Amino acid sequence: MLLKSKRSSWAYIVARVKVMKRRLIPSEEYRKLLNMDFNEIVRYLEETDYKREIDELAYKYSGPRLLDYALTLNLGRTYRKIMDVSFGIAKDIITTYLKRWDIWNIVTIIRGKMAGVSEEEIEEALVPVGEYTLDFYKSLIPKEIDEIVKTFEGTPYYSVLSKVGSEPLSIIEDELYKIYYHQILKERPSEFALKLFVDFIKMEIDIKNIKTILRLKREDVSAEEIMRRIIPGGFEITEEEASKLIAMSWDELVKALEGYWFSKGLEGITDKSISRIEIKFDKAWMEVVARRASNYPLSILPVLQYMVLKKIEVDNLRTLGWGKWQGIPNEEIEEQLVIL
Amino acid sequence: MAEEAIARGLIAVGAGLAVGLAGIGAGLGESGIGAAAVGATAEDRGFFGLGILFTVIPETIVIFGLVIAFILMFAFH
Repeated sequence: MLLKSKRSSWAYIVARVKVMKRRLIPSEEYRKLLNMDFNEIVRYLEETDYKREIDELAYKYSGPRLLDYALTLNLGRTYRKIMDVSFGIAKDIITTYLKRWDIWNIVTIIRGKMAGVSEEEIEEALVPVGEYTLDFYKSLIPKEIDEIVKTFEGTPYYSVLSKVGSEPLSIIEDELYKIYYHQILKERPSEFALKLFVDFIKMEIDIKNIKTILRLKREDVSAEEIMRRIIPGGFEITEEEASKLIAMSWDELVKALEGYWFSKGLEGITDKSISRIEIKFDKAWMEVVARRASNYPLSILPVLQYMVLKKIEVDNLRTLGWGKWQGIPNEEIEEQLVIL
Repeated sequence: MAEEAIARGLIAVGAGLAVGLAGIGAGLGESGIGAAAVGATAEDRGFFGLGILFTVIPETIVIFGLVIAFILMFAFH
């Protein structure tokens, strides 16, 4: 039993990911990046891990589109690499976690088809790190939407996907994510490593739910409609809690939220725009994840932390790139960035 | 005569155990550190030296075992 210790397998993947984390763009650098123009940002990124992707795509695209696709490609490659170098239970957890990108890919393809985007451009936006391969998605892209939906017959996604056309795509996307979360939460974690992962997912659901509640409350959406959007199975915001929160008025709601684990995201919530609040919640969540990751250093948490941080970095760079390209003032761009 | 032979034998067994058990313990300790060192080195070559250094730190335990073995072999002879 002693010899079968799993410590070494965690040590390997965690050490690897920690070194990768050091290579993320540090938060001080964003101030520098904000003062650069678009081309300078691309040049800056050519000296980082994104060089390979930018070089590969530079002959096909230019401007923010080049940056967009290079970032997506890099994100996909990074995730795939983590999946490839992990083994045992870590690999299982990472594979399960990354299945969310299947939903992203399916929705991207359908959305692209609806908007009449070229096949090549749809392909560049895919992040094929989930259950299905890039070749599978490539075979989907030329098909009609009905045929695409048919391909998923027999998978858990089919019942929701068959509503494409009759319901708005955003609702379908939400429903698909609900299925994804349900798949993860339906089994009771038998091992401690899995329990940490499930708790991480539950916390993510909390953050998503609270953002939904606050955003839709602001827009005066009816309680049933908000309840439809709530993902069941949160860490502290269960469905019951959510229905209680939804019934409250805005001021009561803000007060009631103070007792939750993410209450740090609530500071100065009253008169700020909703996107700023969402960023605050993201930051509060990342702080908790970082704390938990350092409490359990030999677990999946540091790996998940890195994967979320990488996603945040890619999103930040995308916001920064498009913002600069369209000449949006620095302060406004900065407000949209999640700088930890 | 026979007792002396048994005593010598037991001392030799004790010395063997001292080194052997210390070696197993150090090996268990090193497995995690070694895996982490390899992981870090795979990402960044700069960790090679430091990785080796950290990996062999539990090896000091084996030296203690070895010292005990020597004491057994020579002092109690």
